[in-house]
Amino acid sequence: MANDDAFRRAWSSLTPFDRPVRQLGLADAALGGLLAVLYVTWLLATARSLGFARDEGFYFHAAMDYARWFRVLMEHPAQAFERSTIDAHWATNHEHPSLMKSLFALSWMLFHEKWKVFSDASTAFRFPGMMMAGVAMGVVYRFGARLYSRRAGVMASLLFGLMPQLFYHAHLACFDMGIAAMWVLCVYTYWRAGDGGIGRALLAGVVFGLTLETKHNAWILPAVFVPHALIVEGRALLRGMRQGRVVLPLRLVALGTVGPLVFYALWPWIWHDTVPRLQEYVNFHLHHEYYNMEFLGTNYFGPPSPRAYLPVLVVATVPTVTLVLFAIGGVDRLIARGRGLSGQRADGQATDLLMALAFFACLGPWVLPTTPIFGGTKHWLTAYPILALFAGRGFDLVVEGAVAAATCKWKWSKGGRVMMEVGLALSVLAGPLAETAHAHPFGLGAYVPLVGGTAGGADLGLNRQFWGYTTQDANGWLEGHAPRGAALFIHDTAWDSWGRLQAEGRVRSDLRGVGSPSEAQVAIVHHELHMNEVDYSIWVDFGTVAPAFVVTHDGVPMVSIYRRP
Amino acid sequence: MDWSLLKRWAFGLVPLVGVIELSAHVVQCNRKVTDNDWIAAREYVRTRVRPEDLVVFAPRWVDPLGRQWFGDEIVTLAREARADETVFPRAFEVSIRGERASDLLGWREVERTKLGAVTVTTLANPSPQVLVDDLLTHVHAQGMRVARTDSGAECTWTRSSSQAGNLGFGPTIPAERFVCPGTFVGVSVVAVLDYTPRRCIYAPPPGGAAKLRLRFLDVAMGKALRGHHALYVEAERAAVGAPVLLSFEVAGKVLGRVVHRDGTGWTRFELDTSEWDGQRVELIAEIGSTEGHRRMYCFEASTRRAGL
Repeated sequence: MANDDAFRRAWSSLTPFDRPVRQLGLADAALGGLLAVLYVTWLLATARSLGFARDEGFYFHAAMDYARWFRVLMEHPAQAFERSTIDAHWATNHEHPSLMKSLFALSWMLFHEKWKVFSDASTAFRFPGMMMAGVAMGVVYRFGARLYSRRAGVMASLLFGLMPQLFYHAHLACFDMGIAAMWVLCVYTYWRAGDGGIGRALLAGVVFGLTLETKHNAWILPAVFVPHALIVEGRALLRGMRQGRVVLPLRLVALGTVGPLVFYALWPWIWHDTVPRLQEYVNFHLHHEYYNMEFLGTNYFGPPSPRAYLPVLVVATVPTVTLVLFAIGGVDRLIARGRGLSGQRADGQATDLLMALAFFACLGPWVLPTTPIFGGTKHWLTAYPILALFAGRGFDLVVEGAVAAATCKWKWSKGGRVMMEVGLALSVLAGPLAETAHAHPFGLGAYVPLVGGTAGGADLGLNRQFWGYTTQDANGWLEGHAPRGAALFIHDTAWDSWGRLQAEGRVRSDLRGVGSPSEAQVAIVHHELHMNEVDYSIWVDFGTVAPAFVVTHDGVPMVSIYRRP
Repeated sequence: MDWSLLKRWAFGLVPLVGVIELSAHVVQCNRKVTDNDWIAAREYVRTRVRPEDLVVFAPRWVDPLGRQWFGDEIVTLAREARADETVFPRAFEVSIRGERASDLLGWREVERTKLGAVTVTTLANPSPQVLVDDLLTHVHAQGMRVARTDSGAECTWTRSSSQAGNLGFGPTIPAERFVCPGTFVGVSVVAVLDYTPRRCIYAPPPGGAAKLRLRFLDVAMGKALRGHHALYVEAERAAVGAPVLLSFEVAGKVLGRVVHRDGTGWTRFELDTSEWDGQRVELIAEIGSTEGHRRMYCFEASTRRAGL
């Protein structure tokens, strides 16, 4: 009984900082902004040490083509809308919509070419992706603060950013961080539009359109919003129907109308031949080629994909303490939902349901045996902001538990309470921070301590890398050992990525990239299970099985470098 | 048990998990094999290894580092891309992290030496087979003759440059090879279905009714002919290609026929040759398939003292 009293006293002692924030203010904007700025600064500071992934090379190329169109638009606006001009510039990489590549292009034009903010063109290309990571940090904070507490918002934002593989993807001029940010922003704006106001509904529609324009994952969002809106506003809908009226939820109408309009308006490629080009876009993703991916020592190259892939990869790559907090927060929300309580306040929005739908919709496709798994964790990065939000809620509960437990013994001073909270925060953030910082620049090969770290991942037969992004890490050896003007077999490096590596002095500019070991004096191999054949080809062609050097991370081979005897 | 006490302090599990995770991370990051450990292990093996010994690294993923530090003198292509372990009487297992080479699990431990973070274990093969003659050693101008069965024309032994490609190209086409119309025969290393390396006679069948006819000259026979065959992984992993038929004959008498079907990987075969035990013969192998496209077939065989 005494303990129950203590718990009640503890609960009643919670400060406004511990509760959901109905109206975010300037301080919240500053806090969210600070989290975003710190993260983007960290990304910028580490960008130079990360080589270029295959897909980045393709997007650099596409962005430069699109930049030429933007120049035409500025100098000869009428000509820019002619089909021949559009086709000449927007045909490149037209299997993906335009938003991120347009941002890469504009960033390159402004921050590298015009204002010289970034000396490396690649950093300018990558900057929008990094900014998207910042957007995600900020949105997660705001969402968390509104849902649970400012503390939960801060912790959710930090736990989101401190995931090693996510940190890797956040550097890239690719779409995966972009869609993760837009996904949570879209869910947030949709949720905020639940008040029935037309302004917020229109904003939700615009954000949905931008999300569609970011990556095709966005087409799954209606599976989140439609059932949610029907549950929340189903009664009103039925009532209207009985009265002979169909009154659709305003935000759904906005999503269904404004969203596609924005999608169409921002993608010049589909302005002409709209239906066939959309058909081609849909078909590309519905019938996407399977690439190779190692999982538990087996190379998967086609259906059926292993159903354990997603859960194992989540456990092996997301810091364990984050997952524990997520589980605590998730169970709490489940219990609250089960009791018909919001846990924090009356919730006519069924927010927990929305969050659950937004979370599971990201994961659902990846447990289907027909979905290719070649991109690893990047395919469900969209789930991580939601996962982090539940983790933030979990942290709130831990703090509340600590307050309640300690209140039984002594009364908190203000300073003591702050110290306790900071101590708890450090105890859960230190591990993820250390893992994330240490993983760089081998983020895709990094696994959490629970599975033994990088070496443990290799023991388990988990993929060490893809996209050939570790070529730059071979430069330490190439710098001092490759003969002048040597022909270098660049293996999985895309030609555009190789060109940029040389243009920016990340690898020696006198080296000549070649596409086969037979042409090469020096050859690199990016270690992936299905790439073993390239290793063996070099053995026979070079007449040696001994690499001159092996690039490692925590003792695990990432790149082998051979020199022709 | 005071459950209320446990419940009250249950929150403490979370910071505990956080601290354990951080500690484990620090330990894992600092558990490294130093250059000196590798050098010490190399010197240990170099001074003891005999030509007939096997040298392996465990876990499998550390193999590139093992090859880098041990070099071609110790880690020969024949050891790395061996057909199997049966003919090696002794093995040096060079391991880190307490891992074991799964291929050698049944072998008897003779000696174990710890050299820093590297452990070298000397293992004895409980039942080594005696190799009499290895067909791979016959792949040269004097050792064999090659022809297509449709034209009968001899394929020419050629020394040119090897052809190695990027992912999907298939095994390196070796510099020294018999060149036939539309195909070739030479020794290469193929990545088989499980992506392990296998050194073998790379002999893509021409397809249709035509076969490759390989006449191995002056082969020392034992009681059995034992071999393995496979296709390059990307040629057989989809399991849609036509089977490849391999037959052996001596003096007009068929020793046996084996079929390689897609999706079966590096498979073993064994034929009874006790009739020719102790003799030197011309051993003929014929390789055929109804398809010629991407039948990137490779086989190895050797005669063995022991029978089936």
